[in-house]
Amino acid sequence: MTFNEAKAYLLARARAMSLEVEVLATESRELTLNSFGGNLSEITRASQGGVGIRVVVGGRFGYAYSEEKTEEALDWILHEARENAELSSADDGFLPEGSSVGHRDLISEGLSAPLAEKGERAIELEQALREDERTKQVWITHYTEREVLEELASTNGAEGGYRNGFAGLISSLVMQEGESIKQGVDISVEKEFHALDPMTTAQKMIETTARHLGARPLKTGLYRAYLEPRVVAQLLGVLTRALSGKALIEGKSRFADRLGEEVASDRITLVDDPTLSDGLASRPFDSEGTPARAVTLIERGVLRSFLHNSYTARKAGHENTGHASRSYRSTLGVGFSNLSLQTGEGVDLVEGVLVTDLLGLHAGANPITGDLSLQAFGIKIEGDERYPVENFAISGNLFELLKRVSAVGDESEWHFTAGAIGAPMLEIESLSFAGA
Amino acid sequence: MIDTKTAESVLATARSHGADFAELYLERWHRRTLRIIDREVKEATSGIQYGAGLRLLYGTDVVYAYTNDLDRESLVELADTLARLKGRAGSVNARGGGGLDFRRHQVKGLHQPADPFDTKPKRYRLERLLELDGGARVGPEVKQVESSYLEWEQDVVIANSEGLWVEDRRVRSRMNAMVIASADGDTQTGSHGPGLSKGLELFDIFSPAEVGRTAAEMAMTNLKGSRAPAGTMPVVIGNAFGGVIFHEALGHLLETTSVAKKASALSDLLGEQVASPTVTYIDDGTTPHGWGSSEFDDEGLPTERTVLIERGLLKSYMVDRVGALMTGYRPTGSGRRQDYTFAPTSRMRNTFIAPGETPKEELFSGIELGLYAKTMGGGQVYPGSGEYNFAVREGYMIRNGEVAEPVRGAMLVGKGPDSIQRIQAVSPDLETAPGMCGSLSGSLPVEVGQPHLLIDEIVVGGEA
Repeated sequence: MTFNEAKAYLLARARAMSLEVEVLATESRELTLNSFGGNLSEITRASQGGVGIRVVVGGRFGYAYSEEKTEEALDWILHEARENAELSSADDGFLPEGSSVGHRDLISEGLSAPLAEKGERAIELEQALREDERTKQVWITHYTEREVLEELASTNGAEGGYRNGFAGLISSLVMQEGESIKQGVDISVEKEFHALDPMTTAQKMIETTARHLGARPLKTGLYRAYLEPRVVAQLLGVLTRALSGKALIEGKSRFADRLGEEVASDRITLVDDPTLSDGLASRPFDSEGTPARAVTLIERGVLRSFLHNSYTARKAGHENTGHASRSYRSTLGVGFSNLSLQTGEGVDLVEGVLVTDLLGLHAGANPITGDLSLQAFGIKIEGDERYPVENFAISGNLFELLKRVSAVGDESEWHFTAGAIGAPMLEIESLSFAGA
Repeated sequence: MIDTKTAESVLATARSHGADFAELYLERWHRRTLRIIDREVKEATSGIQYGAGLRLLYGTDVVYAYTNDLDRESLVELADTLARLKGRAGSVNARGGGGLDFRRHQVKGLHQPADPFDTKPKRYRLERLLELDGGARVGPEVKQVESSYLEWEQDVVIANSEGLWVEDRRVRSRMNAMVIASADGDTQTGSHGPGLSKGLELFDIFSPAEVGRTAAEMAMTNLKGSRAPAGTMPVVIGNAFGGVIFHEALGHLLETTSVAKKASALSDLLGEQVASPTVTYIDDGTTPHGWGSSEFDDEGLPTERTVLIERGLLKSYMVDRVGALMTGYRPTGSGRRQDYTFAPTSRMRNTFIAPGETPKEELFSGIELGLYAKTMGGGQVYPGSGEYNFAVREGYMIRNGEVAEPVRGAMLVGKGPDSIQRIQAVSPDLETAPGMCGSLSGSLPVEVGQPHLLIDEIVVGGEA
């Protein structure tokens, strides 16, 4: 059966079983073209989809999903979801009152272009990367595009869907100068195929990688740190975990009981706006069908809001912010969309370390305690003299660091990870660097 | 999941359009997860992953497609589409049209569970997690205990245009404990997560209460710890999950995925001395019930025990089909993929440093000031430059040859090829531990492992 038929089948069966159910059906399409040696050496084309259900039995949530669309498989997930619900402890669960939220198309013809032209983008990118004589190897040069159709329906009246997508260039190259070898990885994403620009992407990639060649050791010590936008975006990604309403109700947020209090420097204002017209992660409504709206999370250093879905909001006694996030395979959570840190007066690079990239965030950054110890890459700045440094780590605590922001850049840059994060450069008066 | 006739016509369609090689991978994967916090069930999920991946090779060029529609028409159409993507729809290869005589590989059931998942009700898992929770309550400082249990039953069929036909079942289960402890306004965490290619007997092999206690004690130790120092110093790395450092610093650099494209710092070094003579490094896909074991790899080759480095000499890379075509190296049964949504690439299975001869105490005895990284967290590497990092989850200072006070927040940073030359001594106490490894072909279960070992100099990222 088709996904729409599967959705209808599940709703009908659930009603017959007196189950409250919310069905999320997703269908996605992917195309990836990799250029190696001027030839499209890897091509991936995919269509994938599944249905995920959340049932409520006596106030208890249960989940199950399937990518197999036979009656047998769908009956199995209804049975499993009910069993899973019966196992759950909290009995205050509910499905939000739903409404018809319409069907939207957020990309329309944005990805339309002949296949050959898409392949050209990957080939052009690779060639441009190889033009620099310091390029030792180009490991990955992908053109990639993804289109997702999300459909939501519940026995409580929720009904709607939207189609979204993006096109991107992903590259990874290795550069060498003398004994020094450096690797760079980057992804640039656009909503329109025609907005991709392999030449600019390649140039930026070469610049950001080559500037680390010939790096010297960095002496252990306290330095003023200038965090580039990419690094700020990486750290904000960790911070969103503390701003999650789910972390809050599960006792895992350091921001618990801090609403209205100062949690960061007054230079920090953080907003999540799923309604941005050109936002990479924009959405008309969240995974429960709650219409999207912009939410100020931190305003001039003061904590204003968490990210909530209907359940976490009710548990916390807050307003639902419309940030429910669920894929058909996952359970109900919260997720940001276009998160952005407001720009400031600008940063002057005078003396210190310009931190250009962080590695090891999944293990070296603890979102609960905020403790950070991360491999970093950077450029040492001594007045007019600048040279790359390597083999060092930065350490500190994210929550303390936020309070010590001494300047904010005047230009913002978007980075695409779990959602889209826009950030300017940040200056931290003093940060601990471990090196030679 | 598929009959031989359907598989044959899909593969034949691909070959008739000029592909040198065609491979079908089909999968039905039942997964369940149970997550509890402070004795309350937060989430229970069940799911079926179901799909097919079709891979065509033109020389070493790869064309890959995946779909959830496994009926004959959709799959044949997919083969046509792929040929069109490659610009080969017009080409006809008479050789490809012929029938395939599939050779079925006998599955021995080497890693099959003693207690399959359907032998006990869901409540049984919950009761075990409640025991875990109980074991973690080691003191008033323990503020939260989160635990989870996951069970996987993955059935795969792999058929290719050379007539290979493999059906394999991979059963895995894993427990996880995460403990939050607080005292005097300070909060720290500890975790532990054993897993094997086993069924419900996992709970008999690893006592849940003990798993909880181990995580809790780590959190308590971290609570007592001061911030790790910063700088370059000798480091003793603990056994079991300590092996993650060489997984990152060495393992990833030996996969043909990067080696063949000369994007690894260890490309073209077969037969060379790449590590100190104390190091023998092995990747073994056959470890009975290992978290990273399977009878066949995801290209349908039997897995094997591959000696990568023997006494410091590079003996073999980890080689998948495309890697073998590109380099001429012998395939090692290392072609792996997360699921049908990824084409296979060369990946690690259960990878460890072999036992050495230096008694553990001797590793510490010569160190005036150093770090004992008893338990490691995850890490990351750039294979091209070999630059890597990994987090210390439980660490202690070493002072005058003795393990001293606990320290926290340490990160070890280095360059792989340099660090492996700096291994000074290895102890006999090899242990392994499960982890999830993310790379080009997705996130995969792997074991890492090592005995205690000493590195004479490494950058410790702590507080300056």
